[in-house]
Amino acid sequence: MSKDKMPKQVRFGDFIRELNITQNKISFVDLANSFKSAPKDQKLQVSGRDVYRILAPYTTVRFVDQAKAVVPLALYLMLFQIFILRQGVADAIVITGGLVAVMVGLMLFMEGLKLGLMPFGETIGNILPVKSPLPIVLLIAFMLGIGVTLAEPAIGALQEAGKIVDPSKAPYLWALLNVHTTKLIAVVGVGVGCASVLGTLRFVYNWSLKPMIYASLVPLLLITAFVALTDVELLKMIGLAWDCGAVTTGPVTVPLVLSLGIGVASAVGKGDSTLSGFGIVTLASLFPIIGVMSLGLWLASQVMPAEIVATAQAMSGSAGATHWSGQTPWVEVILAVRAIVPLVIFLFLVMKVVLRERVKNAFIIGYGIALAVIGMGIFNFGLTYGLGMLGNQSGSLVPAAFATIDAVEGSPLYWYSLGLMIALGFAYFLGFGSTLAEPALNALGMTVQNLTNGAFKKSLLMYSVSFGVAVGIALGVAKLIFALPLAWLLIPGYILLLILTFLSTEEFVNVAWDSAGVTTGPVTVPLVLAMGLGFANATGAIEGFGILSMASLCPIMSVLITGLFVQYRANKAEDKRKTQAAAA
Amino acid sequence: MANRSFTVLTDGTLITCIVEKGKADAIVKAAREAGAQGATVFYARGSGIRERLGILGVAVEVEKEIINIVVSKDQADFVVERMYLAGQLDTPGKGFIYTTQLDKAATYIPPQVVEKLAQSEGQA
Repeated sequence: MSKDKMPKQVRFGDFIRELNITQNKISFVDLANSFKSAPKDQKLQVSGRDVYRILAPYTTVRFVDQAKAVVPLALYLMLFQIFILRQGVADAIVITGGLVAVMVGLMLFMEGLKLGLMPFGETIGNILPVKSPLPIVLLIAFMLGIGVTLAEPAIGALQEAGKIVDPSKAPYLWALLNVHTTKLIAVVGVGVGCASVLGTLRFVYNWSLKPMIYASLVPLLLITAFVALTDVELLKMIGLAWDCGAVTTGPVTVPLVLSLGIGVASAVGKGDSTLSGFGIVTLASLFPIIGVMSLGLWLASQVMPAEIVATAQAMSGSAGATHWSGQTPWVEVILAVRAIVPLVIFLFLVMKVVLRERVKNAFIIGYGIALAVIGMGIFNFGLTYGLGMLGNQSGSLVPAAFATIDAVEGSPLYWYSLGLMIALGFAYFLGFGSTLAEPALNALGMTVQNLTNGAFKKSLLMYSVSFGVAVGIALGVAKLIFALPLAWLLIPGYILLLILTFLSTEEFVNVAWDSAGVTTGPVTVPLVLAMGLGFANATGAIEGFGILSMASLCPIMSVLITGLFVQYRANKAEDKRKTQAAAA
Repeated sequence: MANRSFTVLTDGTLITCIVEKGKADAIVKAAREAGAQGATVFYARGSGIRERLGILGVAVEVEKEIINIVVSKDQADFVVERMYLAGQLDTPGKGFIYTTQLDKAATYIPPQVVEKLAQSEGQA
């Protein structure tokens, strides 16, 4: 700028602006032209800093999600062990590594699920009911039920638990978990499959949940009572059967089956569907129990306990040389591939053969599937070395509070009654805390609050579910300590539930029965299972299952009772208003 | 018909900033610290950069938040700069920001402020 063109006045604002920021200007026209000359599908060149800036928030958010579920629980167990039981955490480094593996594995798995499997689920849910007649939709729903069960991460925890069972004490249980694992998972899958068929039908015809509960619960209770009364050996697998129900309803099953159901509902359904989303979880946790019980009965008709003990001894004798596929890194990888690949192939076939749809974004879906497999592998690894080991360790040390345990010097650490209180309190708070922190519970609470127009507060539901789970886990632990027969806790409990269900309104029945399902995430299940087994081993109980089944029974009960109470209070307020209005 | 009058603001600049869902709050905070009075955020879906990033595109959220902020012409560059830095917009996939000159804007202006400004205008 030449001197004579210098302006006499400069706005102070313009001056500040020039001082603060130096802007380099590029014309958009030039930029657009530079893109024109480049090949169309050319990928962007990204620097290392950019990769970091893109990936860091992406991974942190997802990692923190998992850490929120794992870290408080793990800390609670460890601190309890150190301060109350005054025991160091053995293999702390291995356990920490395992827990990190759990978090990383779940993070990758969930992201893979979202990118690789959910798009299939949504497309199939949207298109299938329009293109195919109902019987085919139901058949696919059934097969989808089986597929998702295999892919559920908590299923691995069952296999893990099987290693701790003593064949001479509970032969059928051992055989189910070690020899017939495939059959066990298959019957659970068939159970979930039947549940998703019924759930889909419910979406279509808007059926009430109550008759379904009666129809599935009555035979279930009859089988349980029959087993409990007739076969002493088979009695020991009741806990496993009822726990299987809790294992099935996890992060894979619920969204995939629901997306199919919602698609069906929007295509052919009638009536409002605020409630029909519920119930699938309930059915998916009841049907597998029937399946596992039947499998147990079949097994009992095939082999004698003595034969199983002999097999077990033969197997433990040859256990020295495991095949490479049974060793640590490989067994996890094989399990992961076996869990996810069948589901993917099934979904892919449905897309291609039944729907004749093209798979969109094949590259991203492939990446998602790879991520899911890797995540599942890492999670399985963490299951063994993190959650399994930690749960087992706490489980085996907690009894030292009131009983003499060889591993703990100076046990019992407290007077019998105080120690017992400590052990039960430990279980109670474990259940309460882990449930209250569950994100699914928060979502359920919101739904309930909206559904009841605020009569049933979100916090009230959250606390009643958490209270139920807490009591359930404490009861389950009490069952292990006093060797209470699980059947005689479950049968009266569920009969009471039938009565409560009969008395309650449809809305509360739907919510209450589903509330059991939200508490059984992929972190809580393995931890509680392992804790129960460790506890059982330490106290000399025969088997350590049943805690999860108590933890699903009690919240249903507490929610139903709270629901009845809320209703009673609302009715009373209504009456009062009426009498006042009449008086005036 | 009664002759009604109202005050309009001139010399306003609209800043529009498109970022990934969940990032808006931090950017709005930076803008307010730089002198912006308020912000409107709404949701949208975007496309373009994900496809060009290849595998990294997975990490870029499809759902976006769009921030609308109106500031005075003098403030605009400074606020934009703060927002640009807060949102790390110099990274691929992080967003886009642009400004638009506004003809007119109108909203509630405290009466005493209007009076004061009118007086100082008269003096000048």
